[in-house]
Amino acid sequence: MKINGVAIDDTFAEAFTMRVARLIITGRNPKWARAAAVKLTGFATSVIGCKCEAGIERELPESATPDGRPGVSVLFLTMDKESLPQQLIVRIGQTVLTCPTTACFDGLPDVPDRLAVGKALRVFGDGFQASKVIGGKRYWRLPVMEGEFLVEETFGMQKGVGGGNFLILAGDVDAALAAAEAAVLAMTDLPGVILPFPGGVVRSGSKVGSKRYRNMIATTNDAFDPTLRAITESRVPAGVNSVLEIVLDGTDAPAIEAAMQAGIRAACRPGVQGITAGNYGGKLGPHHFHLRKIMA
Amino acid sequence: MSDTVVLTLATAPAHTLVADCIVADRFASLDARAIGELPVVHGGRRARLGDFFTVTGERSTSLRIEGDLERVEGVGTGMAGGEMLIAGNVGPDLGLAMEGGRIDVHGSAGENAGGARPGASRGMAGGEIVIRGDAGARAGAGARRGLIVVTGNAGPRTGRAMIAGTVVVFGSTAAGAGRFLKRGSIVALGAIECPATFRYACTYQPPHVPVLLRYLRARYGLAVEDRHIAGRYERHSGDLAELGKGEILHWVAE
Repeated sequence: MKINGVAIDDTFAEAFTMRVARLIITGRNPKWARAAAVKLTGFATSVIGCKCEAGIERELPESATPDGRPGVSVLFLTMDKESLPQQLIVRIGQTVLTCPTTACFDGLPDVPDRLAVGKALRVFGDGFQASKVIGGKRYWRLPVMEGEFLVEETFGMQKGVGGGNFLILAGDVDAALAAAEAAVLAMTDLPGVILPFPGGVVRSGSKVGSKRYRNMIATTNDAFDPTLRAITESRVPAGVNSVLEIVLDGTDAPAIEAAMQAGIRAACRPGVQGITAGNYGGKLGPHHFHLRKIMA
Repeated sequence: MSDTVVLTLATAPAHTLVADCIVADRFASLDARAIGELPVVHGGRRARLGDFFTVTGERSTSLRIEGDLERVEGVGTGMAGGEMLIAGNVGPDLGLAMEGGRIDVHGSAGENAGGARPGASRGMAGGEIVIRGDAGARAGAGARRGLIVVTGNAGPRTGRAMIAGTVVVFGSTAAGAGRFLKRGSIVALGAIECPATFRYACTYQPPHVPVLLRYLRARYGLAVEDRHIAGRYERHSGDLAELGKGEILHWVAE
């Protein structure tokens, strides 16, 4: 299969089931909502080192937020149920609570599995906090120097998908980067998906474990490192001198598929020789995103 | 089972009619005949609900009441769920000590809406009462939780001795509002006189007020103005003669 002359490898991306929460952060204006969201989702690229993965899903207009102010939707993922509330409590407490004019709402209101995040944060109010039930939802009002911080008592948690991916194989770094940027642009603001890495792009794709260091969980994906083509079991085709990866996390498999389709199509541009994907032979992750099936 | 039980006032009561049997969730298991047999007190004498109302529908927690209920007391007492729409005015003690559900009055309500039973200190403990008109004295008195919305004016001693919960008044609020308030909020979009035992804190934009007002606009279709949603409010803390953790939020006209 070829798209715009770019070969689509007959392979699949292998992804994992994770736990996901969606947060709606609002602010006086888009600047402050985004400022909180950027800090909240900082250092959350991979569970390997950050214990969580997070990113901005999309910006929301006033009409789409609970308080009628500009907002940002954020997705937050962890590998297990227990660590998701821990991460949310610490991160919201340090980044959204602290950010001027912001409020924090649950973006998965219909999900039965609830995390008592606002309930834990309320004690910052030192007994001066107050709760309000509006439309069946409980909110906590925390007094702060600027005024009040409003946070929902609970946030929904559901199963999500982490680790959707595709690799862009290009003739040089300029072409790889241009294709990756185009892919990210095409996937930006699609519902239910985040790209947790810087700018949505990964240059250091990894393999499980290490060939040399026993305590390493993940090490460089030498099969796709062009500089190692001559000394390792390389999968870098001839003429490819730079590889960039796009990693996607999402609320469900269809959202990942839709984003991969948009991203891959955008990435198929001059200078790109092929698109492939990372997997573990299909033995580790239950979600398999077959590139040719997605692009058919 | 029907979608809605409809009670239509067929015989106007000559005296006060205590009809605390009219409770939406209580009708969930009753057929029309059983509903008509429910006991009421008319002028101090026992009677049946069916003596005054025609009943249409059965076994539903959705209830619609039609007619002038100004002499009907205690509608929705102890209600714990369901929805009740009153197409007209209603008498005192609406939603007395209610715990859940929604009462939507397309008219005015008498005294002690959402208040406490005689001798009790606690009023409503949950649910929502929307009064699309004026409310009599002591709306929300002793409320423990829940929401009362008055789109017209509220009578004296609104929210008296509230323990928590919220009262929103679109019009003016008469004297004595919030006296003996422990926690809880009175959101006044119109004129209100804060008791001397309240103290001004600041003027700001309470972040929950836009959520609340937008909810009222979306859920009940109330005519909430954008200036109230985006506006600033004076916060008066009180009652300082009590716990002092309550508040009167008074909208500040720009």
